[in-house]
Amino acid sequence: MTPSLSRRHFALALPSALLAAGCAAPHQGTGRPGDPVVLTLLSHYASGELKKALQGPVDEWNALHDRVKVRTKAVEFTDLLTTFMVRQAAGQGTDILHPYCLWNGQLVRAGVLRPAPPEHAEEIGRAYGAAAVGSSSVGGRVYGYPTEMQTYALYYNKRLLRAAGLDGPPRTWPELEEAAYRTARQDRYGNTLVQGFGLSTFDDSTTVGQTLALLNAAGGRFVSADGRSTAIDSPAGRAVFDLERRLVDRGASAPGVNVYQAFASGQVAMVISAGWWTTNLKALMGTAYREVGVAPVPLPEADGRRATLSTGFMLGVNTASEHPCEAWEFLRWLNADKVRGTTRMSALQASVGSLTGRADDMRRLLGTGGDPNLHPFLDALAYAVPEPNVPGAQQAKSLLRKNIEALWTGQQTVDEALRSTRRQVDQEVSRSW
Amino acid sequence: MVNATLAPESTERAARDRSAGLGVRVRARRRRRQAVVAYLFLAPTLLFYAVFLALPLGFAVLLSTSRWAGFDLGDIDPVGLDNFAGLFADGSTFLAPILTNTLLFALGTVALALAGSVLVATCIDRLRFQGLWRTLYFLPIVTTVVAVGNVWKYMYQPGGLVNGVLNAVGLGSVAFLQDPDTALPSVVVVQAWASVGSAILVLTAGLKSVPESYYEAAALDGAGPVTVFWRITLPLLRPSLLFVCVTQFLTGLQSFALIIVMTKGGPGDATDVAALEMYRQAFSYGDWGTASAAAFVLFAVVLAVTLVQLWLFRRKGEDA
Repeated sequence: MTPSLSRRHFALALPSALLAAGCAAPHQGTGRPGDPVVLTLLSHYASGELKKALQGPVDEWNALHDRVKVRTKAVEFTDLLTTFMVRQAAGQGTDILHPYCLWNGQLVRAGVLRPAPPEHAEEIGRAYGAAAVGSSSVGGRVYGYPTEMQTYALYYNKRLLRAAGLDGPPRTWPELEEAAYRTARQDRYGNTLVQGFGLSTFDDSTTVGQTLALLNAAGGRFVSADGRSTAIDSPAGRAVFDLERRLVDRGASAPGVNVYQAFASGQVAMVISAGWWTTNLKALMGTAYREVGVAPVPLPEADGRRATLSTGFMLGVNTASEHPCEAWEFLRWLNADKVRGTTRMSALQASVGSLTGRADDMRRLLGTGGDPNLHPFLDALAYAVPEPNVPGAQQAKSLLRKNIEALWTGQQTVDEALRSTRRQVDQEVSRSW
Repeated sequence: MVNATLAPESTERAARDRSAGLGVRVRARRRRRQAVVAYLFLAPTLLFYAVFLALPLGFAVLLSTSRWAGFDLGDIDPVGLDNFAGLFADGSTFLAPILTNTLLFALGTVALALAGSVLVATCIDRLRFQGLWRTLYFLPIVTTVVAVGNVWKYMYQPGGLVNGVLNAVGLGSVAFLQDPDTALPSVVVVQAWASVGSAILVLTAGLKSVPESYYEAAALDGAGPVTVFWRITLPLLRPSLLFVCVTQFLTGLQSFALIIVMTKGGPGDATDVAALEMYRQAFSYGDWGTASAAAFVLFAVVLAVTLVQLWLFRRKGEDA
């Protein structure tokens, strides 16, 4: 070996060694025979009640199992997808991931999520509702155990409806419009004092969630069954966009207002939102929470078939995990084994005011004495439509949000908004496959 | 004879040559050794630049011509210039409204901040307690963008301070951040307000460097304050103005935080800018190729705008 060759080898080997050291696989135990395997779990349960709620069953598992231990890592939800990306690219991906199901297509396409083994997929298909299974699946294949499920329903302020001479929440869109116009109030300067129906540009999930809940209630879908194009440019889509545009134009909705604060302050009569909000409203409103009611999302006509939107999270196993069998076993223990009649995950979610896709568990946990406002969300598990999670779903959602805002602010007509959404979303969704 | 007499000379020459060659070699070796030592001293800096500048830049070039979802380095798929073509393809929103918004945002910010800072700096220059005034105007710089954005967002709300003032004088409320026509100008005002402090610092320093004799001569000639400002102050402030103009433009073109706090790019695309779009493409949509291509387009725009500014100022005789 010549000295120059040796130097060249050294020059090549040094960065490689540095890279290898930097990108080494995460610590998986000592590797010595008999030492436990350490599984890592990355979730967004980073603080407060959620962190404690997840740590409880993990501690229980660690106390009961000598061979496989679980270590949790948590980041804020806003950093979750980025953390998945960075850790995966650096070879530091955790064994178990807890993604928002909207990202599942993106994660599957990038080869991050491992399909559930047949026995687990079968268990998931049998025990969970269709919406939960749909959220955890991509292209008909199950990729994890559904955890928290959020369905959308109509929150209403009983006091404001009573003051407008209305006995109860609207069941149809004509009733919704009528109630919205009767409850809305503005001052002489055009400031909204009370929104009849709260449409909000707060964030992607709020804006799109409200619209998709109405779209699903009208029998429409955002994305086609094969996931390769949008289906919003339809009679149902047109009806939803028409309804929202009318509500804004006639002053019953003020999309710029922070609806989460305004509803809690008694400045919004009705708004569509997900079940997680009940816990926040209780904390924010105190005794005034008794004026809050929840009803199913109104339908275009009284005899329509009920439907709404559902979103969710799931626990899946990383393709890079060196211990997939152990990881799936832990997930089965956490999500499928029953203790006192319910799974640990269902008990965990109920303890923080959320739901899982196991309706029987949730009925048992919520019982008859719980918050009656949670029951419409629980009932909706049976008929909810999962949020599309095809590759490119996040971008499709952002594009829809932009077009909805353009519609609400008068930048686009209903026809233009439908056409523009279809063109932009089709382009992105087809590109992502 | 000749050979006999020449022989010692040639031997001497050969010896001199040998000695000279030896000297050259020694000097060369010394120079090499010095170069090695110099590079050893430079190594930390070079390593720093390699890790934090050259490597990311090279990676960005690679990504801009590839398709990558951000998860596995082995999945980087070369696509040539497709990402750039996609940015300017029919139906893409990158050129309009995103890049247009970016330029309008930067232009508006520079115009407002420059006008405001020249006015305020000139006033401060005539006041007592100049340090106090400069500190007061500098406060927005030391406040986090998130705090600034949120405070202004509440002030712009229907029922907020700004609309309260409008209502008090009998005017109707304006949906500043909700109306696509007023959203971008509203954010521009905040960005200009937030950046005026640093411009004032630079301009007041520039004003101090204007020789007092010019003003005395102007006063003797009977020049009024407006003439003095246009004919003396402003031309002599040109180096400071150039610095403020270039740095404010750079900040404006790359602005991201204030917009994400105040409008998230909405309503619709009304306040969407290139930096925000790049962030979304990479971190939300997992399209690192498009994000990197957009970054290079933005870089080209920033470079072009900066060169135009330098050229304009040089035409006026100012050597930057």
